Amino acid sequence: MIPTLGHIAVLIGLAATLFAAGAFVIGGRSGDLAVLASARRAMYAAFAMVAIACLAMIVSLLAHDFSVVYVARNNATTTPPFYSVISLWAALEGSILFWTLLATGWASLVLYRYRARLPALMPWVGATLALGAAFFFAVMAWPSDPFVRVTPIGLEGNGPNALLQNHPFMGLHPPLLYLGYTGMAIPFAFGMSALITRRTDEEWLAVVRRWTLVPWILLTAGIVAGAWWSYAVLGWGGYWAWDPVENAALLPWLTATAFIHSSMVAERRGTLRIWTHALVIATFTLTLVGTFLTRSGVVNSVHAFTTSGIGAWFAWAILLTLGVALGLLIWRLPDLGDRRPPGAVVSRESAFLFNNVLFLAITFAILFGTLYPVVVEAATGARASVGAPWFNRVNAPIFVALLFLTGVGPALPWGGASWMTVRERFAIPILAGVGVVVAAWALGVRDAAPLGIFGLATFVLVVMGDEVVRGARSRARTRGEAPPVALLRLATRNRRRYGGYLAHVGICVMSVAIAVSATLGTDRTATLRPGEALSLGAYTITYDQLVTEPLASDPRVIETRAELTLAGPQSGRIATALRDYPNSATAIATPVVRTAIGEDLYVTLLAYNPSTSTATIRVLINPLVMWIWAGGAIVALGALFAIWPDRRRMAVEAALAGA
Amino acid sequence: MAGPFARGSVLRWLLVPVVLVPLGWLLFTGLGSDPRNLPSPLVGKPIPVFAGTTLEGDRFSSADLAGKPAVINFWASYCIPSCVDEHPVLLDLVARHGDEVQLVGVLVNDTPDGARGFLDRYGQVSWPTMLNPDGGISIDYGVTGPPETFFVDADGVVVSRHIGPLTRALVDEGLASLGIAP
Repeated sequence: MIPTLGHIAVLIGLAATLFAAGAFVIGGRSGDLAVLASARRAMYAAFAMVAIACLAMIVSLLAHDFSVVYVARNNATTTPPFYSVISLWAALEGSILFWTLLATGWASLVLYRYRARLPALMPWVGATLALGAAFFFAVMAWPSDPFVRVTPIGLEGNGPNALLQNHPFMGLHPPLLYLGYTGMAIPFAFGMSALITRRTDEEWLAVVRRWTLVPWILLTAGIVAGAWWSYAVLGWGGYWAWDPVENAALLPWLTATAFIHSSMVAERRGTLRIWTHALVIATFTLTLVGTFLTRSGVVNSVHAFTTSGIGAWFAWAILLTLGVALGLLIWRLPDLGDRRPPGAVVSRESAFLFNNVLFLAITFAILFGTLYPVVVEAATGARASVGAPWFNRVNAPIFVALLFLTGVGPALPWGGASWMTVRERFAIPILAGVGVVVAAWALGVRDAAPLGIFGLATFVLVVMGDEVVRGARSRARTRGEAPPVALLRLATRNRRRYGGYLAHVGICVMSVAIAVSATLGTDRTATLRPGEALSLGAYTITYDQLVTEPLASDPRVIETRAELTLAGPQSGRIATALRDYPNSATAIATPVVRTAIGEDLYVTLLAYNPSTSTATIRVLINPLVMWIWAGGAIVALGALFAIWPDRRRMAVEAALAGA
Repeated sequence: MAGPFARGSVLRWLLVPVVLVPLGWLLFTGLGSDPRNLPSPLVGKPIPVFAGTTLEGDRFSSADLAGKPAVINFWASYCIPSCVDEHPVLLDLVARHGDEVQLVGVLVNDTPDGARGFLDRYGQVSWPTMLNPDGGISIDYGVTGPPETFFVDADGVVVSRHIGPLTRALVDEGLASLGIAP
């Protein structure tokens, strides 16, 4: 009954989105407000339908209704309720259902918000979003129906993927990531609409800035949460492995970041307009390519969820989207000329242009590395792989150049900078950067990566600090305000600029933390008998005993844990385990992570021998890892600060709307 | 601006096929490859030896497979619906070719009671099932998860490996590779 309800809701949703797409086009051409209103309502209805379908799936999961194939595959009678609910996104069919919920949610929000504004742009925005949603409904109606039934009904199900039920972060990371992915459809829809209606001026950019930053914040948080999950669950002591799934999330983030920067130039100076459109198209296409690559089995065979026909659907959708979008862009190229002469070589415009080129270079490098095995297999039939060292080596120099621009760009004036300005702005920051490198060298840091990043991060932070102090001092002087008040007012009146600075601070913090944790960590592995100890740095870890017992929350899961006593800067009793899930051939690690401001102590059980009670323990000291997460949070906060509604501007808008 | 991508030039439209054709080729050839047909380092090599107790309590070892083509099927009672779907296919295989090929099941991370319950429910079988209590056989064969099947020739050499549930067509294909006509 309930699964049938879900299935019917999907079919109604498909009809509603197709109707909405048609009505938006008709209304857009005729300007008939009643038709446009009914198109909007059809999109709200589609959102309601997919919400009903999601609810039907969650109820089926909670009720362990194994007549639904998806439930039988991803749930068991012993699955705790929390993991039953989040199994909604544990596998392909459910993920697509959840994805559609978020996509129609974003679409409804935008259509509602601008129901009485932007009358020229909105119909085509609506048509684009409706067509996108219709595609996902169609995928659920045909190749990837989440509500397929099975008879005879099993008494027990397979249970969720063992990796997904080992950490509550699985409840947070995929929704954030998906919200980011699906939200990127909005700037794309506005970009398409601007091209169709030939309103490629600043209007759409002003709207889209906020609607790109919101999904961008969520995507950023989703990627950082994913890295954190990988660190806390997978037990290898790292957080980023250049896995295709990780790259799939990073690619649209990179192009979206480039878009955020180039749209500022397009909005302010009327240049980089082709870039800006191309980046919007690239970002949306890459979210589709990312889902396709990771979910269809083209890349990475063991994690492929299915061999069903869904791959061909996605391949056609990507080709169609890209073909139509590129065609539109080429058709409208004559409209997209620069409105002003490009800036001088040393100007803020050029810094933005270089920034875009570098972001694109990183995107291509990662895309190339991710697709290379597919190309090789398609061409020669051989299986190849591209490892993390390749990605690190290729991307590190580009990243260093980007970090340098982070400092240079905001300090350069629009148009062009004189040699005097350059010297005045950058002399002290460069000296500070060199000073920090020398100090770090004197303190014993010898690796090039952390030394270089220390210098660059100092340079960037000092440039920004100088800007902020200069601005606050000038405001304090002219308005007679106390310096802290002046700073606060300056920041809240120029949210874009100061939010951007804060995001850049976050990037500096992350860069330093990544460079240090990747190069200055230490680790040790030892096989111990009960009572024996292992020392690393200032820590001593004594192995007490091996305990094997079923997990209290799910008795089908057998946990073997090594109980340890920790002495050193942090002390106490800890336990690290390997868990045997009935549906996983390999045991799942449960590392212990003791986090402190300066370093993480990371202890994981690699293997054990029950007959002798010996345990092989790996201990890592990972410096500054906490600051990667903190840096990510600062980046997100900076962007949030930048888009926070300005009370004065809202009052002006309200007055204009009322007039 | 001059050159092939000048604003008035028709040639700029070439950009669309230049982007789409290679991408399309890549996506569709990528799709064409079967992700279930994973290369196994065991293909072309003698099977890893095993010995142990079956579900019925008998002794059984890889030596008992000598001289006859064999099908080694890794399964588990919790593997629903894949192993359930596969079960009638295996019964049919033995009904048709039981005298030409030896089928042996291996449990993956499952209890004997769970396995007996599964057989009570979906049909008893005539072939042995190894208990594999410490998972050693799965590790030796590099099993990623049930169901997974290895086709082995009369000399004890692995001819092919299949991940995921077998279908009648896949069985016939596997048997053909062992020289047994369907």
